[in-house]
Amino acid sequence: MTDPSSTEGVPVGEVVLALEGVSRVYGTEVEVRALDDVTLDIRAGEFLSIVGPSGSGKSTMLGLLGVLDLPTEGAIRVRGTDVTRLADAERSRLRGEAVGFVFQQFHLIPHLTALGNVETALLYRGLSTRERRSRALAALEQVDLGARHDHRPVQMSGGEQQRVAIARAISTDPGVVLADEPTGALDSRNAENVIQIFADLQSPERAVCIVTHDLHVAHSAQRKISMLDGRIVADEALRDGRVVSEGDVVGSGS
Amino acid sequence: MRRFRELVGVATAGLTARKVRTLLIMLGPILGVSAIVAAIGINESSKGHLKAKLQELGTDLIVVNASAGLGFGQDPVIEAAAVARVGRLPDVMAVTGTRQLSDIVTVPFAGAEDYYRAFPVPVIATGPELPDTLEVSMVSGRFLNAFDEASGARVAVIGRDLADEYGYLAGEARTIELNGLEYGVVGVLDWVLLEPSMDSAVFLTFASAVADWDLDDPDPSRLYVRAPTNTAMVAKEIPTVVSLGGPDGANASVPTDLLDAQAQVDESLNNLTKMMGGLALIVGGVGIANVMSISVIQRSSEIGIRRALGHSRGTIAVQFLFEALVVGVFGGILGAMVGAGVVWGVASQRGYTMVLSVAGLAGWALVSVGVAVVAGLYPSSKAARLEPLETLRLG
Repeated sequence: MTDPSSTEGVPVGEVVLALEGVSRVYGTEVEVRALDDVTLDIRAGEFLSIVGPSGSGKSTMLGLLGVLDLPTEGAIRVRGTDVTRLADAERSRLRGEAVGFVFQQFHLIPHLTALGNVETALLYRGLSTRERRSRALAALEQVDLGARHDHRPVQMSGGEQQRVAIARAISTDPGVVLADEPTGALDSRNAENVIQIFADLQSPERAVCIVTHDLHVAHSAQRKISMLDGRIVADEALRDGRVVSEGDVVGSGS
Repeated sequence: MRRFRELVGVATAGLTARKVRTLLIMLGPILGVSAIVAAIGINESSKGHLKAKLQELGTDLIVVNASAGLGFGQDPVIEAAAVARVGRLPDVMAVTGTRQLSDIVTVPFAGAEDYYRAFPVPVIATGPELPDTLEVSMVSGRFLNAFDEASGARVAVIGRDLADEYGYLAGEARTIELNGLEYGVVGVLDWVLLEPSMDSAVFLTFASAVADWDLDDPDPSRLYVRAPTNTAMVAKEIPTVVSLGGPDGANASVPTDLLDAQAQVDESLNNLTKMMGGLALIVGGVGIANVMSISVIQRSSEIGIRRALGHSRGTIAVQFLFEALVVGVFGGILGAMVGAGVVWGVASQRGYTMVLSVAGLAGWALVSVGVAVVAGLYPSSKAARLEPLETLRLG
């Protein structure tokens, strides 16, 4: 069972990731406003969940938070730097350094081993082969898969593959780990395991942000963002899965 | 440097993950380079061979054949006076006439009559200067001389191949039977490269030809003319000099010109092969572009993952270019090796000396690298343009 109290004591630090008045419009002839003037701060030490029905804009927001997409309006700040103004090379570097991504479908590279997959996140950073390898191994140890480092994705269960993906996300020691339905493709036992790993990832230097449909997963977090029609409609602090305070929903409806 | 190593690592991992596909992509450059290398190598080797052969034969020998004039029912001949005129031409060093005699059955040894009746040995009447004119030496003994000519003695010289068949030993006193007449063998002529038929021939003097074989006149039907200078011009003059308005005609040719022409034909054939090799390289390049484009689509999720992990567009493009580069390098090296192997095989089969320049091999391998990289440009830029969210699908 997840025990939220175990992560209770982590102090909330500086803003690692922020959306400032961000809108995202898809299409040119028929415009779809997937995200409408959203402002959100994510601070180090936070464990937050983003919930909402399909089409509410949470995936769009996750893509923008992960700097995989660019907004139609507004700014995305990674540790204070507005990445929308950067060239691709610089933006990619910042994405790799500041953000770790975990996907619903794991998205491991099939022809690489577990170690190779984790090492992929550490490429082109000026690390020596040995440094890269030892950091990747350390990340795999952290998810209890050190012994399976030479296995390929097809030789692993879904839960194990997702743990490799988590190791890959944390190997670069990012300020924020973003997860998109990380338990969506797993059975309940593996899901518990993965959520516990996420809870453990939280540290004073790192935020964890999970997009989910699963209310149980959402309530493992200490902050819950609810979305509807491209806006944030609720931003609540949780303790033991219960709402303790409702935060200001900035930008919504303005 | 580290980045370079990392790129090579990623590219080779991508290529070794799909070995059959990689091999298929490589087939283009391999075929193209090997075809070009083989064409050039075989061409150079055979040209070297022909050059050596031409040098051996000499390019200054003219062969003159009598052609039918107005006299009917008679074998065309070149009169003695005409031979003398040719000999007086300023560039001519030596002239010798020959005439092949017909209806003579030569029996080198007893009991071989049936065989030699079916496959007659050519019997050639000629003058003492033949070895000098053809620049051929004697294997043993001597050639026919002026005394033989003056006395009409029944002496003969035989070609080297006939001597081998006949079991002739150097210095041995032997006779050879021509239609029942015994001729003393006085020498063996070495191989005549330009006239291989002479290697199994019997040579007689014109005097004995007239005496024994009812030849009307000691006139040759063919002349061998050695003209070290202005060879082509002399060859052109000779027919006029021979006929001088009279009934006798003649054709003159320089046999080595034929070899030269053959070399030219070989050259154009090899140009064709080279062009086809170039075409194969281009088709190979198109193949690389094609297969890699499909590969980019199939690997779009891998590309999205890499982008999400912080690899920039530029890095993705360079990664795919590196894959093309690796294909080009290995395809080029393998192609050069296959091509060199083909040249070696052909050269050793035909007895050529293999001519192959290492710089040429490296050059064509480099061309293959260039073709592969150019072919990789489009798929690489396509890979770089892929948006990560198009392939990763969130939520």
